[in-house]
Amino acid sequence: MKVLLLRFGELYLKGHNRYVFENMLINNIKNMLAGEEFKLSKTFGRYVITDYKEERESEIIEKLARVFGLYSLSPADEVDADVKTIENYVSKINCDGESFKVFVKRADKSFPISSMDFAKKLGEIVLNSNKNSYVDLYSPEHEIYVDIRINKKAYIFDNIIKCHGGLPLGSSGKGLLLLSGGIDSPVAGFLMARRGMSFEALHFHSYPYTSELAKEKVITLARYLSKYIGKIKLHIVSFTKVQEEIHKRCKSEYMITIMRRIMMRVANRLCEKYNLGAIITGESLGQVASQTMQSMTVTGSVVDEIPIFRPCIAMDKEEIIQVSKSINTYDTSILPYEDCCTVFLPKNPVIKPTIKQAMHEESFINVDALVNECVDGEEILEIE
Amino acid sequence: MIYLDNAATTRMYEGAVDVYKKYACQSFYNMSAGYNKAIEVAKDIDEIRKLILKKLGGKGDIIFTSGATESNNLAIYGNKRNGKWEYVFSEGEHPSVYNIAKDLQNQGFIVHFIRLREDGQIDYEQLQNVVNERTRIISVMHVSNETGAINDLKKINLIRQKFCPKALFHVDGVQAFCKLDYKIEDYNIDLYTISSHKFHGPKGVGALYVKNLNSLKNIIFGGGQEKGYRSGTENTSGIMAMGYAISHFNTKDNYDYVEKLKSVIKKELSVDEKIKIFDVGSPYILSVTFSGVNGETLMRALQDYDILVGNGSACSTKKAGNRVLESIGFNLDEIKSHIRISFSEELTLKEVEYAGKKMVEVYNNILEKVK
Repeated sequence: MKVLLLRFGELYLKGHNRYVFENMLINNIKNMLAGEEFKLSKTFGRYVITDYKEERESEIIEKLARVFGLYSLSPADEVDADVKTIENYVSKINCDGESFKVFVKRADKSFPISSMDFAKKLGEIVLNSNKNSYVDLYSPEHEIYVDIRINKKAYIFDNIIKCHGGLPLGSSGKGLLLLSGGIDSPVAGFLMARRGMSFEALHFHSYPYTSELAKEKVITLARYLSKYIGKIKLHIVSFTKVQEEIHKRCKSEYMITIMRRIMMRVANRLCEKYNLGAIITGESLGQVASQTMQSMTVTGSVVDEIPIFRPCIAMDKEEIIQVSKSINTYDTSILPYEDCCTVFLPKNPVIKPTIKQAMHEESFINVDALVNECVDGEEILEIE
Repeated sequence: MIYLDNAATTRMYEGAVDVYKKYACQSFYNMSAGYNKAIEVAKDIDEIRKLILKKLGGKGDIIFTSGATESNNLAIYGNKRNGKWEYVFSEGEHPSVYNIAKDLQNQGFIVHFIRLREDGQIDYEQLQNVVNERTRIISVMHVSNETGAINDLKKINLIRQKFCPKALFHVDGVQAFCKLDYKIEDYNIDLYTISSHKFHGPKGVGALYVKNLNSLKNIIFGGGQEKGYRSGTENTSGIMAMGYAISHFNTKDNYDYVEKLKSVIKKELSVDEKIKIFDVGSPYILSVTFSGVNGETLMRALQDYDILVGNGSACSTKKAGNRVLESIGFNLDEIKSHIRISFSEELTLKEVEYAGKKMVEVYNNILEKVK
C-alpha cells in the first residue's frame, strides 16, 4: 500500500507536555491538507498518511513540506513486517546499472533478524535481480530504506524529503509582523513561523508618495506567507501624515529614527488591541542606519511590555536572500516600487541616535495624536 | 477624467469599435480560407494596406503585426546579417528598439549608439562619424515618446546616402504616424513601424512598412501568412478597426488643435518659474519638470483630481534615471521630477486649462510638504 511517512524533529525534546505539541501538529497537518482525501495515523515516532489519491501525491507532499514541526517525509510502500514479504518486495526493485545501498532500521526489536544482517541479505537479493548493479556503501546512486516499526509494518522507500523542521505553528503564540515590501521582512515572518509563531502583518504606506503598486506588492508577499500559516490578517496603515509632520518639524537626520519609533508605537497599540504577543521585524544588525545597535535601542525603547523579535538580526544579506528565494518571495520583494521608508529619505540619517535626542525631536510633534490617527484609520485585509 | 497620457495609449474611436465588432462577429472568416466570404475579407484587408501606404506616402509593402514591438523586432532581426556588419541606433529609442540593440551588442556585433542633443534630436555629427560601408541598419525613431522631439529624417537620409548608401534606414514612427504630415518616400525610408493604439485604433495590432521585401527574413515561423514574413492568422478585426482609425484621423486639423491645447497648458504652467517646460517638437507631447517633487508622486496626486499624466519611464530613487532624459542632459532632480503630458483631439481647451491650473496647485501643495 502506498503511504506517506512523516517524521517530526524537535518534538522529541518535549517532556510531559509533548502531547500538546503533537495535537497541534496533527491539527496543522489536517488544516494544510484540507480538501484532500486522506487518513492520518500514528505509529510510535512516525505519522503515516494513507488512503490518499495517488494522482494528488506530489501536491500533498508539497503541502506537507510546508508544515512546521515536520522534519522529513518519504513516499513509501507499506508491507507486513515479516521476512518473506519484505524479501519478496525487495526482489522486485529495479535499479539495474546503478550502485545502491540498503538501509535497515528496526524499531521493532522482536523482528527476528538484526538490522545489519537483514541489510546484507536484502542487498544480495537486489544484486541477484539487478545483474548490472553493485553495492556502494559511501555514495550510492540508489538508496533503499527498510523501516520496520512496532505496528508490525515495514515501510520501504528510496527518498527522504527534507521539511522545514521547527515547531508546530501556533505553539509559540501569535505576533505582529512589520511587512515593508523588502526582502527581509517576509523572511523574518517565515523564520518566526518555523518556530511555531503565527502572525498578523502590518504595512505602512504613504500615498501619494508611494504607489498603489507598493501596496499590491505587500499583498502578494502576504499571500506567499499565507501558504505556510494560512489566512493572514494584513493591517494597512496610512503613514503619509506622520511622515509629513516629522519632515516638517524634526531634524532631518532623525527622520527615520522618529518614523520607526512611531511605527513601533502603532505596532504596539495594534498588539494590545488584537491580543498579539510580540512584534516581528526584518532588521539585520548594521544593514542600514536604522538597524545599528543604537538605532534599535532607540526604536525599541518605546515598546516595553512585549518583546520585539528580529530573527534576521545575525544573518548576512546573502543568507536572507537565500531564504527569501526558498519561500518564493524574492522576485516580488525586488520589484522596484518605493516603500514608505524611502520617501523623505535624509541624506545623512543618524547612525548612533540617543533616546534623549529622539524624545527632544518628538517634542515638536504630537506623537499621541499621530499614533491614534494611524490606529483608528487602519484598513484590514484578509489574505489567503 | 482628463486623460493627458495619449502617448501611452489612446481611447479607441467608437466607430473603430463598431468595425472591430463587424469583423469579429459577422465577417469573421479566416482570410486564408478559399471560400468567397474569406476572400472578401482578404480584399478588405488589402484596402487597409493601400490606405496605410497612401497615408505614409511610400511605395512598398505592409506587413501586419501585433504592434510596434513586433514590427521593430521584424525590421531589425529580419534584416540582421552575420559577418562584419555594424548597427546604428539612437540613445533615445523606445525599449522595443533599444533592447534589440543591446541584444545585438551581446551577440558580439558592433553597435553604435548616437547621443541626443539638448533639443532631444540625435547628434547628426556623431551619426556622420560612425556610419561607414559596413553599416547594415540605421534605426532612429521619428518622434521621441519621451520628449516629442522630431528627428530630421531628411538629414539622416542624406548622411546615409553619402556615407553608407547600402545601409537600411529603419524608423520607429509610433508617435508620428497620423499625427505629423510627411511622406516617407522623401526620406527614402526602408522600414517604418506603426502602432494602431496610438491613434485611436485597437491594441494588439500594428504594421511594418517594408520598401523592399527582398532583404527581409521572417522571424516567426508558421503558416506563411503575410507573404511568409509574419505567420499567424491575421488579426482581421484589429486591422480593419485600425484602418477605420487611420481614415478618421484628421492629421491637419488635429495638429492645429493640439497646438492650441499645448499652448493653453504652457500658459498655465508658465506662471510658476519652478516649472520647466521642455517643448521641442511634436505638439502632441510635452515634457515638464516640477523641481523638488517626485514626478511619480505628482502623477498619483493628480489622479485624485481625475487628471492622468504620464511618468515616462518609471524611475525610483534606487534606480535613478531615465536613459533618454539623461542622454539629453537632464540632471537627477529634473529626471525625478519629470512628467509627460500628451494630448489628443478628444480633450477640450477648458479641460486642459483646468488641468494646468491644478498641476500648479497640487505641485505647490506637495512641495510645501516635502521641502
